[in-house]
Amino acid sequence: MILTIAGHTFREVIRKKILHVLIGLGVVIIIVSPFIPTTDEPDARVKMMLVVFFQVVVLLCIVGVIFLSATSLPHEIEDRTIYGVLSKPVSRLKIVVGKISGFALVSALLLIILGLVNVVAIQRIASRLPEGYRGILKARNEFAASRFSIQGKSHHVRQGIVWIEGGRAGIALWNFSDLYKKLDNKSSFEVEFNLKIDSSRKDIDAIPLAVRIEDANVDRWETSVLSAKIDEPLTIKIDPVIVGKSGAVNVTVFPIHSTDYIGVTQGDAKLFAVQKGFVYNYAKAIGITFLKFLLIISIAVTGSTYLSAPISIVSALVVFLCGHILDFVKDFSLVIQRYDVHEHALPAALKKPNIFLVYLDYLVKKPLEWFSVILPDFKRFDSLKFLLKGINIPWETVGVSVGYTALYAGICLFIASVIFKKREFF
Amino acid sequence: MDNSAVRTEGLTKVYKDFWRRKSVSALTNLNITIERGEIFGLLGPNGSGKTTTVKLLLGLLFPTSGKSWLLGYSSVDLKVKSKIGFLPEESYLYKFLNAEEILDFYGKLFDIPKTERKSRIDKLIHDVGLNPYRKRLLSQYSKGMLRRIGLAQAIINDPDLVILDEPTSGLDPIASREIKDLILDFKRQGKTIVLCSHLLADVQNICDRIAILNKGVLQVMGNVRELLSQKDVIEFVVKNLSDNDIQAVETFIKSRSGDVLSINHPVSTLEELFLTIIQQSK
Repeated sequence: MILTIAGHTFREVIRKKILHVLIGLGVVIIIVSPFIPTTDEPDARVKMMLVVFFQVVVLLCIVGVIFLSATSLPHEIEDRTIYGVLSKPVSRLKIVVGKISGFALVSALLLIILGLVNVVAIQRIASRLPEGYRGILKARNEFAASRFSIQGKSHHVRQGIVWIEGGRAGIALWNFSDLYKKLDNKSSFEVEFNLKIDSSRKDIDAIPLAVRIEDANVDRWETSVLSAKIDEPLTIKIDPVIVGKSGAVNVTVFPIHSTDYIGVTQGDAKLFAVQKGFVYNYAKAIGITFLKFLLIISIAVTGSTYLSAPISIVSALVVFLCGHILDFVKDFSLVIQRYDVHEHALPAALKKPNIFLVYLDYLVKKPLEWFSVILPDFKRFDSLKFLLKGINIPWETVGVSVGYTALYAGICLFIASVIFKKREFF
Repeated sequence: MDNSAVRTEGLTKVYKDFWRRKSVSALTNLNITIERGEIFGLLGPNGSGKTTTVKLLLGLLFPTSGKSWLLGYSSVDLKVKSKIGFLPEESYLYKFLNAEEILDFYGKLFDIPKTERKSRIDKLIHDVGLNPYRKRLLSQYSKGMLRRIGLAQAIINDPDLVILDEPTSGLDPIASREIKDLILDFKRQGKTIVLCSHLLADVQNICDRIAILNKGVLQVMGNVRELLSQKDVIEFVVKNLSDNDIQAVETFIKSRSGDVLSINHPVSTLEELFLTIIQQSK
């Protein structure tokens, strides 16, 4: 029964050509996105494509789906086609679930088609990138160094950055441990350096570095010489044998020439375990985005069981907007206080309080706090930040998103069924 | 075991305004019983409470007080809906579907198996005369065609009780007659039909019993023949009688203290004349 209503809802969207319009617009935006002016970094266009897809195309589709899901039931009630369904042996709860499922199906189709177009376009653009910039196309698990030290002596320390002179005067050492704790032993590993470089030689844009990677427990290592360029990340693959069974690795770096310098901090070397490819990670991001669609559809359909079409659309859009600025809503009180301080530009002790703002703050503080608890937190579904850094989206994040959506959508469904069950059709 | 098709007890509906204050009393204390297998006409002027009664029976509205039963089940019971067919006042259908698709959709809601659904759809489309237009979207249908497909959807589940709200509205006389024949055919199959109509001639022709509502109150209910018969007036219908014989009969009646109210040639109905002419022109 639910599938019948879901299929019917899906067919309505297809027949009314709304899906075609959304897909058409989405494809046009995806095609145009690589041509949007951006920075000169080689991978900037790929990043732009990801940003445009997840922030523009997805937003466009969400707004479209909100319009559809918030108006479907009110339109059926208004033109009385709902009579035909309600006079059949179908419970009202099933009608609501069927509607939500139908729009979820529409969203899934939208995301699959547009996501595929986007990922194909990204792969094409990324295939022309220099090897060093393809990190964005990976799905890596990041490991921060458990310990960082300088062996020998540092040349000087400025703003927290330790500068080391070349020629073995000093060596930067990072220790990484517990690499297998959350991974299987099929993972490959790489280290990424974001070092500051300098040289007393003139007109130098790259310096040679000696990099040694060794098993922390067994006497096994590999040494290589790499050319480090200014403001470019340096990536080196690790022989799986080095990582061994212990899962603990030491990484040491120093400039070869005594005329060269490197500036290092603990966070400048990161070890990444590359498990699966970008497409797999991208699919997870699409899955999380689908949950976002599912949540807003549940909210929009719930509203539409009681509200008229225009009010239902506005309500769903307001909830969607507020769900992205929950921090602002929660801290609105702080915003008022800051405004107060800014206005008077006086120390708090000397400040003459603005009575209006004090009362406003008093009145809205608690309701806004409650409001921020009730509203859905759409920032939970931000998977773009992982893709931009080429970081594997943890399954914990996916699981939490699924749980949150299930809980919130379940509450929405309960409210919708209660409202719709009591609704009369005049 | 309740053997009636429809039964209401003190069914009352009061519409309230936004502030939950009593605004309109749409139906007051309705007590009716419709037996299985009969054609029952629900009559009344606009706003008399006919549609409210139907909506209360179907669970589209909830009664302010009173109860109703359909085929022995409480009307709020979902199970009973699988035995009911409903044709609303207007053809409220999904215009983005074609005839086959809409019947298939409603058939699925009744959980009718696929093969049976397909054969029923074919038969119904044929019966309501829409076979050549079965693939055409309903948005391109005329009002009469929508009414026919509306009727088809009302009986897709082979119901025991069919509630028809103005079934012949918007139909030409031929289609209207076909629908009436179809309703009589339902009766022959043992189905119960509740008919709401403004067309009194239709109701008179096909209904066994009627109820007349006005301002939400039941005014009269009973057998059509009994309600319409004038007990103190007698009508003879005679063929091939000369003027002298007519004169003699009239004199005889007067001699027996009878009042002759009128002597006329009987008139056929306009519907019959129309159908005869159309039939002859074919």
